[in-house]
Amino acid sequence: VCTSRFWFNYRHVANTLSVYRSVKRLGIPDSHIVLMLADDMACNPRNPKPATVFSHKNMELNVYGDDVEVDYRSYEVTVENFLRVLTGRIPPSTPRSKRLLSDDRSNILIYMTGHGGNGFLKFQDSEEITNVELADAFEQMWQKRRYNELLFIIDTCQGASMYERFYSPNIMALASSQVGEDSLSHQPDLGIGVHLMDRYTFYVLEFLEEIHPASQTNMNDLFQVCPKSLCVSTPGHRTDLFQRDPQNVLITDFFGSVRKVEITTETLSLDRDVAAVESKFPDEELATEPLKYAEQLPVAQIIHQKPKQKDWHPPGGFILGLWALIIMVFFKTYGIKHMKHVF
Amino acid sequence: MAAPLVLVVLAAVTVRAALYRSSLAVFIAERVEVASPLNAWKRVVEGLALLDLGVSPYSGAIFHETPLIIYLFHFLIEYAELVFMITDVLTAVALYLAIQDFNKVVFKKQKLLIELDKYAPDVAELIQTPMEMHYIPLKVALFYLLNPYTVMSCVAKSTCAINNSVIAFFILATIKGSAFLSAVFLALATYQSLYPLTLFAPALLYLLQRQFIPVKLKSKSFWLYTMQYASLYLCSLVVIICLSFFLLNSWDFIPSVYGFILSVPDLTPNIGLFWYFFAEMFEHFSLFFVCVFQINVFFYTIPLAIKLKEHPMFFMFVQLAIISIFKSYPTVGDIALYMAFLPVWSHLYRFLRNIFILSCVLIFCSFLFPVLWHLWIYAGSANSNFYYAITLTFNIGQILLVSDYFYAFLRREYYLTHGLHLTRQDGTEAMLVLK
Repeated sequence: VCTSRFWFNYRHVANTLSVYRSVKRLGIPDSHIVLMLADDMACNPRNPKPATVFSHKNMELNVYGDDVEVDYRSYEVTVENFLRVLTGRIPPSTPRSKRLLSDDRSNILIYMTGHGGNGFLKFQDSEEITNVELADAFEQMWQKRRYNELLFIIDTCQGASMYERFYSPNIMALASSQVGEDSLSHQPDLGIGVHLMDRYTFYVLEFLEEIHPASQTNMNDLFQVCPKSLCVSTPGHRTDLFQRDPQNVLITDFFGSVRKVEITTETLSLDRDVAAVESKFPDEELATEPLKYAEQLPVAQIIHQKPKQKDWHPPGGFILGLWALIIMVFFKTYGIKHMKHVF
Repeated sequence: MAAPLVLVVLAAVTVRAALYRSSLAVFIAERVEVASPLNAWKRVVEGLALLDLGVSPYSGAIFHETPLIIYLFHFLIEYAELVFMITDVLTAVALYLAIQDFNKVVFKKQKLLIELDKYAPDVAELIQTPMEMHYIPLKVALFYLLNPYTVMSCVAKSTCAINNSVIAFFILATIKGSAFLSAVFLALATYQSLYPLTLFAPALLYLLQRQFIPVKLKSKSFWLYTMQYASLYLCSLVVIICLSFFLLNSWDFIPSVYGFILSVPDLTPNIGLFWYFFAEMFEHFSLFFVCVFQINVFFYTIPLAIKLKEHPMFFMFVQLAIISIFKSYPTVGDIALYMAFLPVWSHLYRFLRNIFILSCVLIFCSFLFPVLWHLWIYAGSANSNFYYAITLTFNIGQILLVSDYFYAFLRREYYLTHGLHLTRQDGTEAMLVLK
C-alpha cells in the first residue's frame, strides 16, 4: 500500500512497486496481490521518462511495466477501503481483484509506506489511520479466520509506533524506524529530480533480490537488514505475538508462493471414492419428490383475494352514547315539543 | 340573500372539485404549510389502517387526531373529498348566519347609544348604516370559501377544516345567545385542538352582554352566570373525553393528542414559530422554552378581556388570530378562519395605517414559501434559515395586521365618544397614538 500522492512522493510509489515486483518474482500471482497506489507516477506529467518508475539511480531498474496490476488507484486509496479490504466488509459489487480472499490457512504480507507519525499513517494528505484502528482490524481478521500468519512491514517515519498496539496472535511486524526517528530517503536522481527510494526498502530490496523460491533464509536475517550505519534510523521488529520462532520462519513463507509438490508415479482411481460417497447418502432423509415452485405460493388464492373487510368497528356502547348525547343536545336547544313532529 | 350565497357556494364547490381532479391535489397535499403533523390526511389514513390491523393508532408517533375523528372517518373515508367540501360549506353558512345576527346586534346597540346621547355630535360619518352592512355576511362567506388558503386546505384534505367548522358553529351558537350550545361547541373545539380554550373569555363576555349583566367583579349575577357557563363547558368537555375513552377502551389518546400539542416533539417545518427554535435548542432548555411559548398563546386573553370587555366580538376575532399565529402547529387553514372576519370590520378601513405593506408582505411570503422550500430541500442551495426567515416575516405580517385592526378599532371608539376633530388643551389639532 502506498498512501502518498504528489510528485515529490515518488519514492513511496517506487517502494511499493519494488516490493510488488519481488513478491511476483517469487511466485505470488496478481490474483493474490492487492496493490494500492495513491498516485500515478509513471504517467505523471512531471515524469521526464513517462511510463517508467525507477528504483535505482541512473535509471537502472524500472519497476513499472506491462504486467503491473494496480487494484486500488488514486483516490480509491482511503482508510475506509483499506480497512474494508482487510476485514472483508466489502459491498457485493466489488470485483474479485479488489478483495482479500484469504482464509485461515493463508499467510499474509502487508507492506505500507508513506508519511507517518507517532501512532498514525497519513493517507492522501487528508486522513490518517491510527495504530489502534489497525490493531482492531487485525483482530477482526483473526476472529474471522482470515489469516494464518501475518507479516506487517511499514516504512514511514516513526514506523514502530504502528505495531505497538497489535494484540492478535500470529503477527510479526517490522518497521523502518523507532518512535522519535525519521526514515530517510536513499538517493535522489538528478535526471528525474526526486528521491527514488527510501533507505529501508532499498536495503530490503537488495536483500530480497538474493532470495529465490527454494532459499532457506529465515526471518532473523530480515531483521538484520539495514543496520543503523546504513539506514541512519533504527529498524525495529516485533515477534512476541508470533507463535513460531523467527529462526524457523522462512522468508518465502510470506514473500513467495512456495508449494510443496511431491511427484508420484502411482495412479489413483477416483471412481471408487465417488461411489462410496454417494452410498453414504441415506435415502429416507430425502424428500419423496421435490416441491414444485408453483405449489409454494398459493397463486390461485392470491389472485382471487377479495378486498379485506374492515376488521375494526367502533364499540356499540360508544355509538349509543354519542348519539344519545347528540339527541339530548338537540332537544335541549329546540325544546321537547318538536319530538312529536319527529315521531 | 339566499340566492347569492348559493351561487358563492356553488362556485366554491366547483373550484374545489376541479382541483381535486387535477394533478395539483397531490402536490398541495404534501406541502408543509397546509398539512401539519396534527391534521395531515396521510396520518388519518395511516391511523385507520393501523386500526384495521388491530393495533391502536396511538401506539406510534404518527396519529394525533382525536377519537371522534376516528369515528367520523371510519365510515366516511371513501367519501373524504365530499366530507371536506361539505364541511367548508357548513362553515361558510354558519359564519354567514352568525354575522347576519351580529349585524343586527351591532345596529341595535348603536341605536341605543345614539338615543342615550353617548356619541359626540360630529361623528355621523363613522356610524354604520344598514345599507353598507347589508352585504357583509355574504362577503364573509365569500372570503372564507374562496380564500386560496381555504381552498388549498380543503384540497389537501387537512382536518383543519373540521376544526374551523366546529369553531364557526361555536360562534354561531354564541351570537344566537344559547349558552348551552355554545358551551358544547366550545368543548368540542377545545377537545379537537387545545387552544380554543382561550375563546371561553370572549364568549362569556358576549353572553353576559346579551343578558345585560354588567361585568363587575363584585356583582353576584356576574359570578353566577360565569359559574353556570363554566360548569356547562367543563361538564361537556369531561363527557366528550370520557366518551372518547370508550371508543378504544384506553386513555392513549390524551398523551398522543394533548401531550403532542403541548410538548411539540415533532419539529417538521411549518408556518409557525416553534420548529426552528426547538431544532436549534439544547435539550436541557427545551422544557423551559416550551412552557414559555405555550404560555405566550394563552397570555393575551386577560389583558385583551380587560381592554375589550365592551366589544366581545372583536375580542373573539383578535383571539382567533392570536391562536392561529402562536399555536404550536399552525397551517394556512387556521389563518383562513380569522381572515374570513375581516369584512365585518371593513368600516375601519379609513383608520388602518399599514394595510398596503401588510397585504404585500402576506402575499409575497405566501409565494416565497414554496420557492424557499424547494431551494432548501431540493436544490440544496439554501438552508433552514431562509425558510424560517419567510416564516418570521409572514407571522410579523399577521401580527401587524391584527394590531393594525386593533388600533383602528380603538381609535374609532375613541372618536365616537370624543368627536372626530380632536383638539388639545391649547386648541391645536391632536392625533391619537396607541401606546
